[in-house]
Formats: sequence, structure tokens, C-alpha cells
Amino acid sequence: MTRTDLWPRIEPLLARIERPARYIDREWGARHDEDAQYRVALAYPDTYEIGQANQAIGILYDVLNSLDGVAAERVYLPWADLIALMREEGVELFSLESCAPVASFDIIGITVPYELTWTNILEMLDLAGLAVRASDRAEGDPLVVGGGPCAFNPEPFAPFFDAILIGEGEVAIAQIVAAHRAAKDAGLSRAETLQQLALIPGVYVPSLYVCEGGASSVSALPGAPSVVVKRVVEELGAHPAPTCGVVPFMDVVHDRFTLEVLRGCTRGCRFCQAGMVYRPVRERSADDIVRDALAGVACSGYDEISLTSLSTADHSVLEEVLRRLGRRLAGSGVSISLPSLRVDAFSVDMARLIAGGGRRTGLTFAPEAGTQRLRDVINKNVTEEELLETIDNAFRAGWRRVKLYFMIGLPTETDEDVLGIGELVGRVMSAARAATPADARGSVRLAVSISTFVPKAHTPFQWEPQISLDEVRRRQGLIRSSIPRKGVDLHWHDADVSSLEGALARAGREVADVIETAWRSGAIFDAWTERFRMSRWLEAFAAHDLDPAEIATRTRAIDAPLPWDHISAGVSSRYLARERARALEASTTQDCSFEGCTGCDVCPKLGVEVRLAGVRR
Amino acid sequence: MSANDFRLRICYGKIGRLRHLSHLEVVRALERSVRRARLPYAVTQGFNPHMKAAFGPALPVGTAGEREYLDVWLTRYTDRSAALEALRGATPTDLAPREIRYVARKAPSISAAFTIGVYRIEVDGEAVDTEQVQADLSRMLGEGEFVIEHKGKTKVFDLAQSIPKEPCVQVSDGGVYIELTVRTAPSGSLRPEVFARAALAKSATSFSAMRTTRLDIFIEDDEGGWSRPV
Repeated sequence: MTRTDLWPRIEPLLARIERPARYIDREWGARHDEDAQYRVALAYPDTYEIGQANQAIGILYDVLNSLDGVAAERVYLPWADLIALMREEGVELFSLESCAPVASFDIIGITVPYELTWTNILEMLDLAGLAVRASDRAEGDPLVVGGGPCAFNPEPFAPFFDAILIGEGEVAIAQIVAAHRAAKDAGLSRAETLQQLALIPGVYVPSLYVCEGGASSVSALPGAPSVVVKRVVEELGAHPAPTCGVVPFMDVVHDRFTLEVLRGCTRGCRFCQAGMVYRPVRERSADDIVRDALAGVACSGYDEISLTSLSTADHSVLEEVLRRLGRRLAGSGVSISLPSLRVDAFSVDMARLIAGGGRRTGLTFAPEAGTQRLRDVINKNVTEEELLETIDNAFRAGWRRVKLYFMIGLPTETDEDVLGIGELVGRVMSAARAATPADARGSVRLAVSISTFVPKAHTPFQWEPQISLDEVRRRQGLIRSSIPRKGVDLHWHDADVSSLEGALARAGREVADVIETAWRSGAIFDAWTERFRMSRWLEAFAAHDLDPAEIATRTRAIDAPLPWDHISAGVSSRYLARERARALEASTTQDCSFEGCTGCDVCPKLGVEVRLAGVRR
Repeated sequence: MSANDFRLRICYGKIGRLRHLSHLEVVRALERSVRRARLPYAVTQGFNPHMKAAFGPALPVGTAGEREYLDVWLTRYTDRSAALEALRGATPTDLAPREIRYVARKAPSISAAFTIGVYRIEVDGEAVDTEQVQADLSRMLGEGEFVIEHKGKTKVFDLAQSIPKEPCVQVSDGGVYIELTVRTAPSGSLRPEVFARAALAKSATSFSAMRTTRLDIFIEDDEGGWSRPV
């Protein structure tokens, strides 16, 4: 089949827009395969510089391009300036590698990273010339398949997708491609093809499920599983990390070689969706990490390696890994970084190890709550004593800046807890100054970031109300009037944005209409502060007689149906309910990768187990 | 940097789609190429160690280059052809190195010494006429001064100084080529495309697109002689 090359129509537009490097492809590591019979467009619903670093797309790009006869290409949403020109000139959404129309691919895989990118997905589909609703697509249109973090409550955006993969894609993506190719060879219709896809474990086909009783109850039609259980790979070592990925020309977020050193986290923080849905913990071995880190640097030419995961300091052989990498990279100018750190002495030791005598960039810690009682409620197993000791360590070791993350609106929070944040920050500041030589005390800075808790599906707090917008503003006021000013930089997560996230995150399929209406009235790039307009969303909710505040702030009964009941992350609701009860009595739960099993049911349900490279401490 | 480092000068192109890269993007991409090629590059001392390298005069986004330059300091002498081969294998095709040579450790800095740029400006358009364009350029040059306003600031260029050679215009398919030589000054450089656009605008010569390529860079010595950096 001859494929259209849109480059001759794109290039003349580049002189009229900002940052053309977003669109030119040809980066080191970009894979070009003109002859593949089956073509996959891997799309990230935001601009190139936001999406390029996405590790899931990097993994799938690698897996798919190594399949016989399959080519995967990248697609990002152009920035508003180019979108306007494309619409004016009638140029469709294009892939980077072959600059082909996205609608000419066999399948489009879209990762769904965050609620506020949902309108971007509609913009991409529309710019590609495809119907935004799966039910309106034609027989010959590509299949549109979603996946990623938001897939654990897929209902609000389900009508826009032909299928959605729940969980990890390393193995499942090849099965989806194989099933689709077989269906094409057999001349199956679109509906028949989707029925075949629904037979693959972890694949949710929204058109095979109906919503009853509002939208909070979803049931399967014959031929589809009543509950779709997430996919999970048993052993990371069987799926080597990509070491020769795309190295962008332009300055993108996380512009470094990133290596996933472990997956999953069972610290059991009760607010944390990632901690619940990416279980169990699976670590890569020290040998594999050192091998892949060195290979990644050699192949990419990056001067920084980031060892990523939900909690890298938990890796049982992290110290060995850092020492070995430090020796191998000595004198090369290549540095190592760790994303966020646990609040403990070991983490500071590790940070010292990688900083050596060089630059001490900021350290980030997340106490999350201002009082011990509330930290126990959320199962954030950090004591104030540990925090102050960690701060003392860090400032004695030469750090002068620390970032602290807190949340307001956590279940059971009282004004005392809110005021506790300012008090704790004050004590952290005193500890930091006391550990800093007198002549350097002026440079001690604490960046305090305060977000509003948004309850998420598949967590022990999935039944809890989010606090109202007025209440957010009142509690922010309490903090503002009580937190120390000197040396403290205070950052807020926007209250409107949090309330919208809250309404979208736990909504059902009825909200798809709202998303479409918001997009049709101009909502796009909602995650970009300067582009976000709350009024557009409020009008869109009103147009469908829905109240976002009601969705976010309603208390759900433990036994009432939830819109994500047909999706399983492996963690049982019995466990979630038990954790909720323990939260309400401020009783903590251990981490099963350090101590015994806590009965979340993931391992028996998914036939997997915790896999460690050593002993955790 | 140690006094014993070897200073390797690399001549590379910035062509094809990569003309759309910014200078900073080119710098980063080539530093990564040097690392991938595993050349024994020197690392600066200090708090934030990085590769010891220096780049020639920046090209704007959208402008291509046929012979651009960077210097990289190596800690070990490395065979020239082996280094070139390693670099070529580690660089995106449209930024590929063309020639390399060791230069004296004390040779003048490449950002300051490279003052003469030879540009080719492709002017596309059905009715673009060689003689008309030549006349437009001559008329502009005859004015002796060229004034541009940028971000509220006015800049005046002495054309005899800024354009040291008579521009030359040739026919191409679908338009014409202008070859324009520009001398940069510490106070700022004249962008050849801006000059050409202004010249054509004055006589309302219409065209559909303009693409600029820097063909060559020369070092000008005290006696006014020009020489290639490699």
C-alpha cells in the first residue's frame, strides 16, 4: 500500500510556528520501517516535550518494532499554533517517523496518563479525521485502543475507545496485534474483531458492556468477561528495559536516560492509586540494572541516568547498584539521579553517594500530612522524628534546599491537622538551620508544595468524599496564615483543577458526554494552567444536568456499585474496605515486601509473587 | 581542561529536516554524539562537570549549514580517521561530521574568530526573476546602511562592512539562488535572510518561500585574508 507522506505539507508551516523540533522526527533511536504490513501509531495526548519521556510508550515502541512485519510510530498532539494551521490547510494528524496520516494506521494506541488530557484525546482523534466516538467509526478505520494509569476507571472516556488494555502492556500488546492481524486476514468485521479482542485477558471492549441504573453499574454482554482483570508481568527480568530509545533533540521533560529499576510499591499509602494498582513489587537484579544503565548511556549519549520507580530507595540492592555504577562512570561526567526519596537516613546516604563531591541538587520528601495521627490514617509510615533526623542529615551533608509535599483534604482531617503542616514546616526549618553553618543559613530554602487530595478508584479511600471547593479555599487560608514565611516557598495545586480531577476520576460513563461537550466548546490542553478554563467545564456539566461537585464530594456506601466494579487491579475490595476501616481508627499496616503478607489478594488472584533482588531493609 | 588536551575540530552539516533545530538543540545533539562515539573527551573540573567543547557561531532555527564547526578537547590522541568514523556512526545523518582535524591548543576561540559567513538563500516563486532580484540587492547595498527594528531596538548596519562581497544571483528550478557573504561584528550580525527579504520587499518582488543555508565559514586574519577553519 502506498502511504501518504504529509511532510511536504507540514514543512512549509514550520516557519510560522514555535519549536519546530517537536515535529521533525529523525532523532537518534527513532525507528523507520517502510515495509511493515501492520502499522501501529503510539500516541501520547499532549505535546512532544511532555510525552517523549513516557516510559510506557518507550517500552511498547521497543516491543512492537521488534515484532516481525510490525512498525510502531510515535504521535503527539501538535501545539495550538500548528493545530490552527493544520485545520486551516486541511492537514491531518501525522505520525513522526513516516509523517503519515494517523488514520492510515491499522491501530492507534493512546496512553491515558491523567484526567486533564482527556480533551486532548478527542482533539487528536478529530484532527486525524476519525469520529471521536467508537460507535461512529467506519469499518475501515483504525482500531483505537487505550491504556495507562487512567484505565483503572475507564468509564468516563470508554465511549471514545474501541478497546482499553488494563494493566501492563509488554505481553498483551503483542497479543492484541496478533489478534487484530488474524481478524484482518480472516476478513472479520469491526464488531467481530472487537469480540476477538475481548477474549484477550486484560482487554476491555466498552461496546460489549452496558450501563444500567445511571452509570454506576456496568454489566457485560454475552461473550465478554464480567470482570476484566489487569495484566501483569511476573518477572521484570524477562522483559529487558529499552536501552536504545529515542533521544530527543529538543529540551523535553525528564531529558535523561531513565531505567525502571523496580515496579510496584506496597508501602500501602491509602491515598495512592499507583501503590494499589501496580502490585506486586518486582525488582530488577543488580546485574541487570548495571548492565542496562551502562548500555543505555552508551547507546543514548545522555549524561544523566535516572533510576526510576515508585520508590527507588526501597530497592533491596540499591546501594550495591549505586556503588558499581559510580565506579564504572567515574570521570565520564555522567551523573545518576534518584526521583523522590523516602524520609530516612538511608535515602540521604544514597543521595550523598551519587552526589559525591559535586552539585547537591534539591532533595524531595513527602510527609503528606502535618500530624502523626493523620499520617497514621493514610498509612504514611513516617514519624516526625525520622523527618527531622533526615533533614538534619541532609543539611549537614551540604544540601540547602529541600522540597516537601503535603496534601489537604485527607479523610478525617481537622483544622488541627491543617495547622500542623505549618508547625511541622517550622520545625523542619529550625532543624535545617541548626544543621547548617551559620554563614550559610541565609541560603536554606524549603519549597513546600500543597495539593488537594483527590480520592481515586481502587484505593481504600475510593468511597470517601473529596472536600468541597469552599473548604479547599478555607483550609488553604489556614495554611497561608500559619506557615512560616522566611525561607519557605509555598506552592499550591490549583483548587479548581483538583475539583475537576475529582469529578472526572470517579465518574461513570455518563461523563463522556460532558468531556465531548467541553472539548467542542474549546477545552484542550487543560493540564496547561494558562489554557485551563473552569467555566467551560462547569457549562459542559450543566448542559448534561450533572453536578461535578456532587460526583466528587458524595460519600459512597461500601456496598453500593461503583463505575469501576467490572475492572480489577487484583487488589480485592475486601482488602480495600478493611484498609479503610483501619484508616478510620488511625491504625497502620505494614509493607509486605519488608514484612509478612497483608492480604491484599493480588498474588493469589494474578498468580504472581513479590520478587526481590535481595533483602529489603 | 589540562594543558595536555588535544583539540579536535569537527566540521559538520546541519541539513535536511534538521535545519529546523535551534543552536542549543544542535549543541546537545552533538555532545551526545561525542559520548556515543566514545571519544576520550575531556571533562571540565568543578561543581558541575561537563564535556569540554566549543561551538562556532549559532545558526537560527530554520537555517541549514553545510560546514559548521565545533571543537572538542580529548584527553588522549585518537587517530583522525577512526574518530571520524566513530562520530559518523553515532550521529543522526543530517548532522553528520564531514571532516575533522586537530588544531593548535592556542588557536583562537571558534565563536569569536569565525567572522565571515557565506550564505545561499533559495527564493521560491513562479515569477521570481534573476535580474530583478540582483537589482533589488544592488539598490539596497547602494543605500550604504541597513536599519532594522527588533523588539523596540534599532540597529544600524554599515553595509560596506557587513556585506564584504558583491551578492550573486543564479537561476534554479522554481526560483533563484542568492549567494550572500556576511561579516559578523561583535556588536551583532546581519541576518542574511532579513536583508534579502527587505531588499525584495522594497520593490514588491513577490516570492512564496525563502530558505537559507550557510555554505561556509571563514576566519579573517589581521591582513584581511580569509581562510577555512579546517
